[in-house]
Amino acid sequence: MAPAPAEELGYKPLDGGWGWMVVVGAHISIGFAYSTPKVLSIFFKEIQADLGASYSEIAWISSIMLAVMYAGGPVSSVLVNRFGSRPIVILGGLMCGVSMITASFGSSIVYLYLCIGIIGGCGLSLNLNASLTMISKYFLAKRPLANGLAMAGSPVFLCVMAPVNQYLLHKFGWRGSLLILGGLMFNCCVAGALMRPVAASCKPSCSPQKKMEEEANTTLKDSCMNSAKKFLDLSFFKDRGFVIYLIGNMLFIFGAYGPIVFLPAYAISLGVEEYSAAYLLSIMGFVDMFVRPGTGLIANSKWIRPRIQYFFSFAVVFNGTCHLLSTLIETYPFLVAYAVFFGISFGMVFALIFECLMDLMGNQRFPSAVGLVTIIECFPMLLGPPAAGLLVDVFGDYKCLFFMCGSVILTGGLFLFFMNIYNYYMLEKEKPAKDREQNQTNVENQDQVSEAEMKQIPEAAMEQTEPEAKVKNGAQSDLNGQSITEEEAVIERANPQTTENNV
Amino acid sequence: MKLLWAVSALLLSCWRANASTAPNIITEPSEVSNQTSAVLSCNLTESNLPIKGSHWMYNGKVIETSQSGDAAPFTTLRLDKITHSSGGKYECVFLTEPEAKQTIEVKTLPHVAAYKHSEHGNEKDKGSMVCVSHGYPLPTDWTWFKEEDGSMRPIINGTVEKYEIKSTPNKTTLIINDLSMEGDIGDYVCSGTNELGTTTDKIHLRVRSRLAALWPFLGIVAEVIILVTIIFIYEKRRKPDEITDDDDSGSAPLKSNSTANHKDKNVRQRNSN
Repeated sequence: MAPAPAEELGYKPLDGGWGWMVVVGAHISIGFAYSTPKVLSIFFKEIQADLGASYSEIAWISSIMLAVMYAGGPVSSVLVNRFGSRPIVILGGLMCGVSMITASFGSSIVYLYLCIGIIGGCGLSLNLNASLTMISKYFLAKRPLANGLAMAGSPVFLCVMAPVNQYLLHKFGWRGSLLILGGLMFNCCVAGALMRPVAASCKPSCSPQKKMEEEANTTLKDSCMNSAKKFLDLSFFKDRGFVIYLIGNMLFIFGAYGPIVFLPAYAISLGVEEYSAAYLLSIMGFVDMFVRPGTGLIANSKWIRPRIQYFFSFAVVFNGTCHLLSTLIETYPFLVAYAVFFGISFGMVFALIFECLMDLMGNQRFPSAVGLVTIIECFPMLLGPPAAGLLVDVFGDYKCLFFMCGSVILTGGLFLFFMNIYNYYMLEKEKPAKDREQNQTNVENQDQVSEAEMKQIPEAAMEQTEPEAKVKNGAQSDLNGQSITEEEAVIERANPQTTENNV
Repeated sequence: MKLLWAVSALLLSCWRANASTAPNIITEPSEVSNQTSAVLSCNLTESNLPIKGSHWMYNGKVIETSQSGDAAPFTTLRLDKITHSSGGKYECVFLTEPEAKQTIEVKTLPHVAAYKHSEHGNEKDKGSMVCVSHGYPLPTDWTWFKEEDGSMRPIINGTVEKYEIKSTPNKTTLIINDLSMEGDIGDYVCSGTNELGTTTDKIHLRVRSRLAALWPFLGIVAEVIILVTIIFIYEKRRKPDEITDDDDSGSAPLKSNSTANHKDKNVRQRNSN
C-alpha cells in the first residue's frame, strides 16, 4: 500500500517509451551533480602549487560546491514548479559549463570559490532537483527501477571522470582541464533537451484541475508574498511521514560520508600500502554502479514495492551494521569484503532515497519536498566528515570513527523502521475519515465538469478503466483489498462509481 | 714568595694529573673519503679508568648492533657498502666515567636527484624544476645547465630576467619565467658539487601551448549543439503524431479486443478526437 495521499495526476504516466530517454538524461544530470565535487579534488594539488593556497583553503572549493548544490534545493523547486523541468536542466547545464570555463582563467582562490563553488553549485542544484521531478512525472509503476537507473549515474560518472580528469590534468594542466570539463558539463543541456515536458492528455477530470491551476497561477503572479511562502513550504512538517523520513535521512547522511573520506587512511593505518588502499574506494564505486539499478529492479517487484519504506530502512540498517563490523577488521582481504558490502549498502540506500520521498509525497508535492529535504540535509552532510575527523584526532584511532558513523546510521535505520510501522498504523486508523472526505470532494469535482463531457463517457469508459486497473496494477499491492493505490486513486477520481464496484 | 711557589706547584701537579689521566682515542682511519667500504676502529689509550662497554653512534643516534659490554679498549665498525645514505658522522663511544668519544667522518659524493624527471609548463606561464640532494657532505655549489645541440650551456642566476635559481644545501630550484614553446623546451641539467666531486641529473621540460585545450573544448561544444538540435528536430517532427500516440497507448490493451466490442470502437473514436 502506498501511504501517499491520493494525488490527482490528471494523466497516466508513460512508464516507458520516451520515459527511458528521460532516464538517460537524468542519469547524465545526476551523474555530473554528484561526481563533480568529488573529482575536482584531482586538480587540487596543481591549483595549490599555482595559486599558493593551503590545503584546507583548496578543500573549501568542493565543500562550497556541495553545500550550494544542496542548499539551492528550495530555489530550484520553485523554478521547476513554475517553468517545468526542461528549461531548468538546460539552464543548470549552461551555468555549470560557464562556471568551469570562467574558473579556468582564475588567478585567486576566492575567484575559484565564486566560480566553481557558487555558480557551479547553483547549476548542479538546478540539475538535480529538475531531473528527479521529471522521473516522477514519467514513471509510476516502474518508478523505483527508473530511480535506480538514474541514481546509478553518480558512481558511473565518478568511475569515468576520475581517470579522464587525471589524463586531462597531465595533458593540459589544470586550466585547460577546467575548460574542457566545462565543455563536458554542457552535456547536461543535452540531458535537458531529452526531458520532454509531459503532454497532459485531457481526460474529464483534467479540466477542473487545469482551471484551478490557472486560478492559482494568477494569484501567485499578483502577490510576491505567496511566492515567498512557496519558497520554504513549512506545511510539510505537519506530514508525519515526511518528518520521519527527514529525521532518519539526517542521521544517515551525518554518518554516511565519514567512512568514505577516511577509508584509505584507515587501511594505511592497518598496514596496507597506499595503492591498495586507494583501490578500496574504486571497488566500492564499482560495486555501487551495479547495485543501484539492481536495487531499483528489486524495489519494483510486487513484494517490495508496497513495503518500500521498510526496504529503505533495511538498507540503512545494513549500511550501519557494515561500519560497525568494520571495527573488527585487521587484514586486507576483509577490508576488500567490507568495501564490497559498503558499496552494496550505499548503493541500496541511494537508489531508494528519492524513490521513498516520491512514494511519500506523491507527484505534486515532490519538487518542493525534495528542495526542503536537500537544504536540511546540507547541515549533517557538511558536519559529518569534520566531526568524524575530530574524533580521530581526539582518540587517535580510526575505529572510533567507524563505530560512531555506524551507530548513528544504525540508529537512523531503526528509527525509520519502527516509526514507519507506527506511521502506517496511524494511517490505517485515520483512513475511514479520509475516505469519506475524498468522496465528498470527488462529488464536488464532478459537479464542476460540464454535463456534456459526462455524457461523452459511455459505460465503455468504466469498462476501459477496470481492466486497465487490473492489468497495470502489478506493481502495486493489495495487501488488504481496501488499500487504495495511487493508480486506483486516479481512476477513482475519474469514476467514483468504479471504486465502489471494486471495494 | 713561598705562597707563590705553593700555588704554582699545586697547579702544575693538577695539570700533570689531568694530562696523565685524560684518555686518548686513536681512530683508524681518521676520515673516510670516496671509498666503497671501510673498517672504522677506535683505540682507547692512556686510560686506567674501568671500561664498562662501548658502542657506535651515527649522526647522533646509537647503532644498536654495535653495542658491546666488552671491557676492551678497542672497538671496530664495519661498513661493507658505503653509499650516499651511509655517509655522515660516526662516533665511537667508550662507557667510562666520564664517557670518551671520537668522531670519524665518512664522506661520499653527493647524490643529486630531480623531483620529477619530466616537467610541464604552460606557455607564458612560470615553469619550475627542482633537484634535491642527500648524502654527506651536502653540496656547497649548485649549477644549472641547458642542453643545447649536445653541449651544456650554463644558466647564470640574475643576469637574465628569465631565469631564477634558488638554492639551499639540500635543494635547488630553477624558475623560468615567460615560457615559450620555441626556446624553452628541452633538457635541463642540475649539478651539485661538494668537496669530493660533482653529480648531475637531467630534467625534460615540456611546454603546453595556451590554446592546446581550446580545440577539444570547441569539439565538445559542437557535439552538444548538434545533439540538442537533433533532439529538438526529432521532437518537432513527432509532435503531430504525439497526441494520438499518447492516447493510443492508453487504450493499447484493448486493441486486441476491439473487433469484438462496439463500445470500444466508440472509446477509440473519442480518444482520437
